[in-house]
Parts: sequence; C-alpha cells; structure tokens
Amino acid sequence: MAPKKLRRARLSQELCERLSRYQITTCQDFLCLSLLDLMKVTGQSYRNVQKLLCKVSLACAPKMQTAYEMKVRRAVNPSSAFLSTSLHGLDKVLHGGVPCGSLTEITSPPGCGKTQFCIMMSVLATLPVSMGGLDGAVIYIDTESAFSAERLVEIAGNRFPAYFDSDEKLFSMTRSIYLYRELTCGSVLKRIKSLEEEIISKKVKLIIIDSVASVVRKEFDTKLQGNLTERSNFLARGASLLKYLAEEFSIPVILTNQITTWLSNGLAIQADLVSPADDLCLSEGASGGGKRESGSVTAALGNTWSHSVNTRLILQYHDLPTRQILVAKSPVAPFSAFFYTVEKSGFVLQDGKDQTNLTWEGTNPALQNIKPATLHLEGKLSSELTLISEREKKPRAPAIRSFSGGNSLGCFLSDHWDLPARAGQK
Amino acid sequence: MQRDVGSLPLAPALRARLVAAGFQTAQELLDTGPCGLSKEIGISKEEALEALQVVRQECHSDATQTAGAPGTSRKCTALELLEQEQAQGFIITFCSALDNILGGGVQLTKITEICGEPGVGKTQLCMQLAVDVQIPECFGGLAGEAVFIDTEGSFMVDRVVDVATACVQHCQLIAEAHQEEDHLKALETFSLESILSHIYYFRCRDYIELLAQVYLLPDFLSEHSKVRLVVIDGIAFPFRHDFEDLSLRTRLLNGLAQQLIIIANDHKAAVVLTNQMTTRIGQSQSTLVPALAAAVPAKEAAIPAGGHCPNLHAG
Repeated sequence: MAPKKLRRARLSQELCERLSRYQITTCQDFLCLSLLDLMKVTGQSYRNVQKLLCKVSLACAPKMQTAYEMKVRRAVNPSSAFLSTSLHGLDKVLHGGVPCGSLTEITSPPGCGKTQFCIMMSVLATLPVSMGGLDGAVIYIDTESAFSAERLVEIAGNRFPAYFDSDEKLFSMTRSIYLYRELTCGSVLKRIKSLEEEIISKKVKLIIIDSVASVVRKEFDTKLQGNLTERSNFLARGASLLKYLAEEFSIPVILTNQITTWLSNGLAIQADLVSPADDLCLSEGASGGGKRESGSVTAALGNTWSHSVNTRLILQYHDLPTRQILVAKSPVAPFSAFFYTVEKSGFVLQDGKDQTNLTWEGTNPALQNIKPATLHLEGKLSSELTLISEREKKPRAPAIRSFSGGNSLGCFLSDHWDLPARAGQK
Repeated sequence: MQRDVGSLPLAPALRARLVAAGFQTAQELLDTGPCGLSKEIGISKEEALEALQVVRQECHSDATQTAGAPGTSRKCTALELLEQEQAQGFIITFCSALDNILGGGVQLTKITEICGEPGVGKTQLCMQLAVDVQIPECFGGLAGEAVFIDTEGSFMVDRVVDVATACVQHCQLIAEAHQEEDHLKALETFSLESILSHIYYFRCRDYIELLAQVYLLPDFLSEHSKVRLVVIDGIAFPFRHDFEDLSLRTRLLNGLAQQLIIIANDHKAAVVLTNQMTTRIGQSQSTLVPALAAAVPAKEAAIPAGGHCPNLHAG
C-alpha cells in the first residue's frame, strides 16, 4: 500500500513538478503539511490552497457507504459473513461462527488445543458452502512447526466421514491448504505482505497464523530498551495489514497467542523470580489487584494487541479431559463459556454442560484470568519427571509436557502435585 | 481598511513583491486599481484583478466582523450562550446513570472522548449513539443523522441492526402507552431501514485517509445538514505505529482536534472520539493511561475495566 503519488490526485503537471522540488511527491507528504507551509510551497493564495487540499483529500479519502447498504450486501450473501466452527453452541453465541472480515484470536496455555482448533478450522474452510464451509483454500503460516498433516487427515476423516469417503476428496482438501513455515518476525511480515496476490490467485478463504506470540517473544526481549516500541510497531503493522486483507477479501483471519504471567503490582524486580523467557504483562496495580493473586496468567502481547484483535477466544483447562472455551471479547457475543474435549474428530462440545458459569463475570479481555494446566496431563506427552498423583499414590509416568514448539512457559505444576522426596530413586 | 499587506491571504510570492514595492495597507492596494498594480509590480492584469478581489473580500468580511453583524460574528454575551446551551439537545445513551453524569447525554458542539480498555464497550457505545441520535423529536431525540468513521474495523452491521431494532421497539412501546398523534406519525418514518440509511460509514485504513476524510467533512456536513453526530472510532490506532516523527504526530493530532472543534461548532454536531489505553511504565509501577492523552481537548468519559460497564440498552 505505497502512498499515492500526487499525479494521480489530478493536480496539474506544473504544480506537481514544483512540489517535487520540495520533495513532496506523495499525497501523504502533501496532507501532512500545515496550510502556511502549503502556501509557501505551492505559491498559491489561501483559498486556492484550500481547494487543492480538497482535491488531494478526495483522492485519498475512503468511499462512503451507509449502514443500510452494508446490511443489504451481507444479507445477499449470508453464508459468507461467518465461517461456522461446527460447534453448535459456540456458533449460536457468535451469531454464526468466526466472523469474516475481522481478526479472531485464540489464546490459551500450552497444550489446550490452539493448533488443534486451527487444523479443524482449516478443514472446515475447504468444505463446500452447503456444508457450512467457504469452499476455498487456506493459508497456514506456521511459526512453531506444530502443524501435522496426519492430524489434519484424521480430523477430516472422523468429523465428516460421509463427505470424505474417498481418498480423492481427502487429497483435494489437503491440496488446498498452503503451509508456510516462517521462523522470524521479519519473514512473517514479508509473508503477510505477499499474501494479497496469493489470495486472489489461489482463491484463499481463510488465513491462519499459528502463532504470533512465539515469533515475537523469541525476538524481542522486552527488558532491553527500545525493544518494547519495536515490538509494538511490528505487531501494529502486522495487525493493520491483516485487517486490510481480511476486509478487502471478506475472509476470516485466525491468530493464536500465548499466555503470560500477570504480576499484580507490576514490579519489574519480580521479573527475576520468573523464568527469563517469560513475558511480563504489566498493568496497573489498582485494578482488581486485591482480588487477583500475583502470578496469574493472562493473554500475552499486551494491551495494544488486545485492542487490535476483534474477537478473542480463550481456551483453558478445566477437569481434564474437559477443557473450556471462553468468548472473552466479541462485538456481537456476550461473555460465554463452553466445555469441550479434544477427540479424534477435533473439538467436541459437551452438550448440557454449556451454560455459562453465572458466578463468572467477563472482565478486561486483556487481563482475563486464565487457568493454566492443573492436574493430570495426559495425551501426547513425553516423560520428564516422575510425580506422584494425589489420588492413586503411585508414580504416574508421563507427567510434564515437553514441547516441540517454542512455547516459553515450560511446565506447570499445580498445588496438588507433590515432588517425591526421593526423585532419583525408583 | 487599515489591514497590513503582509497579513492578506495572497500567494507568498505576490505578497513579497507587494511589500518590496512599498505597499503597506490594503486600502492602498484598492486605491491603485488593477492596471496600476500590474504596471508597478510587473504582473498581468488578470492576476492583479484576482488579487484585488481577494483583498476586497477580506476587507469586507473584516468590516462585517467589526460592525458586529449578528449572523456571522462569533461574539455574544454569556447570557446568550447560556440560553443557547440550555436549549441545545443532547444525544441520550439510554443509560440513565451515564446520561446523568454527562448532564443529559452527549452534548452537541462539544468533543467527547471515550477511552477504555480493550473489549470494554467503546465501539458498542458509539454504535448506540449513532442510533440514538436519530430518535424523532417527539420522543425526546434529535432526529439527526450520524457519520461513523472507523479506523479499527470493529463496526459490525449485525450489532447495529440489533440495537436499532430494539430502539424502534422501545419507541413503539412509548407510542402505545401515550397514544399521541405525532408519536404515531413519527414512527412511520422511524424504521430499521431509515436508521441504517442515515448512518454514513467511512472506513479509514491509515492516518492519511483519516486526515483526508476530516478535511472533507465540512463539505460533507454542508451537504447533509441533518448530521448531528460524528464518531471517530479509534483515533489512536492509525497514529500509534509507523510514526518515527513524534512531533509530526502531535502536530497532526492537534490539527485534527482543531478541525473537529470547528466542525462541531459550525454544524451543531457532537463529536465523539474513542481512544485506546496504554501502559505507562513508571519507575516502581506501571499504570494504565489513555493513549495519546492531552492531544485532544475534550470532555472525557473513561470507562474502567471490570464489571461496571454502563448497562447499554438492547445489549
């Protein structure tokens, strides 16, 4: 989106030449000057300069549409306004599903299912419109190398067995998911910039970035001076590019985020007590500080990022294997919570248990308290420590998860766990 | 008539020549006439005529201002101002607590800034106001139209439809309870379609589009004279990244603020801005403050985080 040259704003040739002598070649330069500067630079009277300003502004200003026109356009194509998540309760609350044309963020502690959700949404986006999909390709930018094609095929086969009854259909689905592995912030930004052409040529209907937080936290150490502003710059630029793509092509964009430790009085000194790779989410001491214990976790990347995303879904642990999905920020949905499990076919909502916990009030989505992993972690884990479970009182083998991805928060211990005194033996 | 030549809004080169030739007051220029002027300065007769027309217009408007003509001048007594302010309408928010704090609602001819943490409801409040400004006068509204300038992309048409439908229903209930002639007549034109058609939406992707749109707003408002509300949702967002030159940013924001004040006054509209919150990292602790604070002189309504959000109607 390079700034528009003045020539295209229909200014006269000689005026453009005169302005270029002062290094004013784009509409941006022109509009940033004050009226007196403009008079000096163009050599015109006050009234003429105002007319010129109007001309240049007309070239830059957006087109007007009434809300009614927008509604009519959406009504004409209702299925294209949302991508259904195939989770009925969630879709109902979100008025259809993941909204097209805006950014949706999934944030959770490690291992809750962000990547699973993304893989599931990729399958859904490739489905035909009659089945609730968008009948298009998917661009999947993977920064953690967590994408598994086998899992993709497993979810597809188990979730829609009637549709994916032949290998042919599975292959055509996998062919329309374009995976990019980017490992640095710079390459992610470059990739996002190049997406515009790809979206048109490949008929892309969904962009997934898994995960934004991991690249950002790898590269920017917020304790170093200047890094905080650079990080915010990168995030803001990425967000505005993605918003532009989402709106221009009316497609959903899904991003994943990690969690960070929230220190209730925001003392920077405490940083040393936590793992150095941890990000600090600093916030004001007075806001609810009394209620929260220090060391609780919330979504990472700070306040500005929370402003940039339009919808925020939080996944968190409940009683394993049940987990919970919260709608923390949404322009159309109130704060809601649902229970789910991760099965072979992807996410499965627990019906009947999906009433919102009424003692829970939604709070600032940037500071929403998230429950990290508590008890027995099962599933695809590798054993690091041997821990004694509260209930069974016998060593449970795979207890702490080690991550193939670069999640900076290593392992979680809940209060119930007891490190055996004789760790080395038996 | 004694206006100094250097203060006339002519092209700088022309002004410099006039001053160099020894002209001091506007009256001198007018007395010389176009032909004399063109010979003395060395410009063409047409240019001289144009310049004299500008001078004449300037002096004429100066004269009316000094004579105190009531229509064009901007001075009046405090009593007149008080009467004006009291007669002015407010845009109600349908939350009586908020309306009470604001003294009746969002005030016309003033800038109101709404800042708050992400997700707290700033855009919701703006959408509510865009609907409330259109309530017919017999129900206590302003029967105006709204301009919505969106920089963050958080305007959801479906949500506005919900709010507007509920507002229409609310007015219908009032009309049924009171059974008055003009209520029913007003309800004929106050429908979902008309509400949506009178919200003029602009999506500005960066600060240049925002600046351009605000430059064009006075003309737009002159064409659509019923607009009573201008909402800029996200004044902070386009200015918070890609800006190395902070002094330029301050200057642009101040310019924006001035233009908005002029728009608010001239067109009797309310201007509502939303701002983001940012963390100010202090020495021993950090606080949440509105981003871009003190750039825009406005009446602020800070919505704190937590459960004490105003209870919006039709939410």
